[in-house]
Amino acid sequence: MSFWNVTLSLWEGFQTTIFIFVLTILMSLPLGLVVAFGSMSKFKPLSILTRAFVWIIRGTPLMLQIIIVFYMPGMLFNIPSESRMGAVVVAFVINYSAYFSEIYRGGIESISKGQYEAGQVLGMTKSQVFFKVILMQIVKRILPSMSNEVITLVKDTSLARIIAVGELIRHAQDFVSDGLIWPLFYAGIFYLLFSGVLTILFGWLEKRLNYYKG
Amino acid sequence: MKKTTKALSLFFALLMVVLSFAACSSSKEDWEYIENRKKMVIGYTLFQPMNYKDDDGKLVGFDTEFAEAVCAELAITPEFVQINWDTKTTELKSKKIDAIWNGFTVTEERKKEFDFSVPYVVNKQVAVVKKERADEFKTIENLATAKLTAETKSAGESAIQGDEKLKDADYISVEFQTDALLEVKSGTSDVAVIDYTMAKSMLSEGSDYSDLMIVEGLELSPEEYAVGFRKDSPVTLEKVNAAIETLAESGKLGEIAAKYNLGEELADNLK
Repeated sequence: MSFWNVTLSLWEGFQTTIFIFVLTILMSLPLGLVVAFGSMSKFKPLSILTRAFVWIIRGTPLMLQIIIVFYMPGMLFNIPSESRMGAVVVAFVINYSAYFSEIYRGGIESISKGQYEAGQVLGMTKSQVFFKVILMQIVKRILPSMSNEVITLVKDTSLARIIAVGELIRHAQDFVSDGLIWPLFYAGIFYLLFSGVLTILFGWLEKRLNYYKG
Repeated sequence: MKKTTKALSLFFALLMVVLSFAACSSSKEDWEYIENRKKMVIGYTLFQPMNYKDDDGKLVGFDTEFAEAVCAELAITPEFVQINWDTKTTELKSKKIDAIWNGFTVTEERKKEFDFSVPYVVNKQVAVVKKERADEFKTIENLATAKLTAETKSAGESAIQGDEKLKDADYISVEFQTDALLEVKSGTSDVAVIDYTMAKSMLSEGSDYSDLMIVEGLELSPEEYAVGFRKDSPVTLEKVNAAIETLAESGKLGEIAAKYNLGEELADNLK
């Protein structure tokens, strides 16, 4: 098995990895904000429910969540899941929204009440204050924790192989069971490069947001 | 600064020496290595009825007891280590384990990488489906249009890929044979191709898989189980094979097989 063949196969797996990553980010970033508002809601039942949801999702392994999302519908309701990738994305989006929601909550609660009051004094509505004054400050503050979580996601995508989705590690492991070990370490370089790109991206973003320093 | 360089070069020199020693010992005869350590590290995965934990959490199973008996004959201690089936080759080559003793199927391809003991159990691959859908899957032709699943690189997978009619079927490989059963149970796949010995033991009454069944009269590629050792370890092979023969003659092997309901599957020359 030549270096080139291995690279091609790993590249194929890497595309699946990126696919899971991008879909998860696109959906869990907004969903996390919704969950964050839910858990900060003044309406008690809603906030208790949301916090229980966050507790369950953060309190159980993502691997287990993937298995449940994929296998449970068939076993309990006799409607087998059609799409492996679909199940993976659903499980990842749910999981990451829970984590993101807590980061958002921390960010939102870190903004002093004075700013809201000042906005009101100037005659702005509540939503105007939030979107025009508060939001970007929050983004600036939560960026480091966000980059942490996002980079964790890059590596968590490897859990998709538990329901036989052909992501990067799975492709590498197929070589290992053929008696070739180095593709597994080679796969590590793909992750490393990807998270390197993300690190640079987040660094750049942080600089751009310096204006909003509180 | 100079001191650091010196220390570093000394360190590397030492490292080289250690590495070259390691290289030497790995070329030494395998048996000598095992005998010197007075133990054989046996790699297994949980696989009923070969290696599994009983109600008290003790590792039992046909292969477990068989390995213990062989090691007793050889006056060494067996040490059981749970491995990841995907990386078994690496584990063995890197001497993390000394043997793969886990219902290990002999194939031509594997013979290039492992030294095999005498085959001790004859197994076959069977198709497992949901009981309620038994009528849909009676012949090979039925299977060809179904969603198939098997363990990655398992004998079940080769049975599918080696079959003229099945090789183009919709197939997905999973990490473990039990995952294949889970796929069928949840309906995400229609048919699992797994070992007969395992199917018989997993689908029994009281198991969560008792709503599954083996398709009658449909046998895919019979196979043989043997113990896998590092390539080029003739003395180890010789010793283990002799011990197996002694156990067969004394009737001990038959006893263990009967205990795990494998009496019929035992290789003919060892019965």
